[in-house]
Amino acid sequence: MSIADSLSISVFGLGTVFVVLIALSCLVMAQSAIFRNISGAKETKAAPGRQEPEKPVNTVCQDMGPSSGELKLFGVDEKTAAMIMAIVSDQSEIPLSELQFKTISALD
Amino acid sequence: MSFSFGETISKIWETSGFAAMTWQQLVMIIVACLLIYLAIVKKFEPLLLLTIAFGMLLANLPLTGIMAGPPEGSTEPGGLLYYLYMGVKKGIYPSLIFLGVGAMTDFGPLIARPASLFLGAAAQFGIYMAFVIAIALGFSPQEAASIGIIGGADGPTAIYLTTRLAPELLPAIAVAAYSYMALIPVIQPPLMRLITTKKEREIKMEQLREVSKVEKIVFPIVVTIITVLLLPSVAPLIGMLMLGNLFKESGVVDRLSNTAQNALINIVTIFLGVTVGATAVAENFLRAETLKIIALGLTAFMFSTIGGLLLGKLMCFLSGGKINPLIGSAGVSAVPMAARVAQVEGQKANPSNFLLMHAMGPNVAGVIGSAVAAGVLLALFGG
Repeated sequence: MSIADSLSISVFGLGTVFVVLIALSCLVMAQSAIFRNISGAKETKAAPGRQEPEKPVNTVCQDMGPSSGELKLFGVDEKTAAMIMAIVSDQSEIPLSELQFKTISALD
Repeated sequence: MSFSFGETISKIWETSGFAAMTWQQLVMIIVACLLIYLAIVKKFEPLLLLTIAFGMLLANLPLTGIMAGPPEGSTEPGGLLYYLYMGVKKGIYPSLIFLGVGAMTDFGPLIARPASLFLGAAAQFGIYMAFVIAIALGFSPQEAASIGIIGGADGPTAIYLTTRLAPELLPAIAVAAYSYMALIPVIQPPLMRLITTKKEREIKMEQLREVSKVEKIVFPIVVTIITVLLLPSVAPLIGMLMLGNLFKESGVVDRLSNTAQNALINIVTIFLGVTVGATAVAENFLRAETLKIIALGLTAFMFSTIGGLLLGKLMCFLSGGKINPLIGSAGVSAVPMAARVAQVEGQKANPSNFLLMHAMGPNVAGVIGSAVAAGVLLALFGG
């Protein structure tokens, strides 16, 4: 076999390896996309009544007792917020008038 | 009956292996002992090098007939290793080793970044470079293809292809392939530093996405169907590799998976190593061709590393510096040694760099790549 022939065979051989592996990578990408879509669709189906994550109530409360400044409540009613503020004040031994609460958010 | 002490001693000597030993066999025994030393003391791929070296030692001890076939017209059986060698000759052992390798391999990093497959393909460059050089040096196409496959850095694939194309070169090719695989931490780093800049080596890569169980189960099935349809000759290697992987990922045949990745692969490794070593008898091994093969094997290894690194650099450029080109060098199979070398070099450049998982993608892609390259060569030059 001549060197020129061996070069042609090498180009062909390496080219074939690339073609096969590129084909595989395309398939892997397609496979991943399909499974992601399927699992996404399943999640939506599994919880049909589920709503979008609760948007912040964004309540601006100015009448929350003596705490200074504005307080934003997220998913928390005023009664609970007042209780939390009182507990924090009690535990930290800081008068409520000296504490400044900015937000109180409910955790999921 | 008279007893002569001198005559008896002389008779025992004449029928002993000492009297029958040639200087070539002595050299081979020394080579075998040297390889045993490298395997035990230097820990050069000891699992295979130790067994290969011991097979070499056994086969070169005179008068044992351990590799001899049954004498024609006689009911006498052949030597032990003659029968065990059938597993190599028929391509059974390399395929069974691939079954175990598949059961031990996690293709997750490759599925998470499919572009790793390109690096696994580029790192087969050395196979074809060595093929061209071997042709220029006067080897036949079958021999050149067998020599080139050393660049795939995959022992079972090299043995599988060589037994089919150029069985007379098997000992030299097997010893070269496993020796260079053991020397990866020595061969690759200078090339990595030569081809990449420090800035490139410092690149930290984004964490890979999580791969679902279903994707991992479907992967071996898809790869088998596509690859074997494209290249039927690669079915024994890819088929077994992916079957082993399916055992692991399916999670329903833990016993089979455990057997494939422990007992089976260990038993086959013993048979494969000893019998491949036993083919290295003086008349096969002590030839100028052996030195050429060893030199060509190193060339193949180096060009494969260079191929992976160059494509790694290209991917680094195209991705806007998101891919560390060092992971390209791991495309030369040799799992997981090549990936570890990429990790070590990356961490030398940037101590907070962790490339191991990123390099595992090209590393396992290299196993598929070298099997595909072997399939191409088998399709071109097989009988």
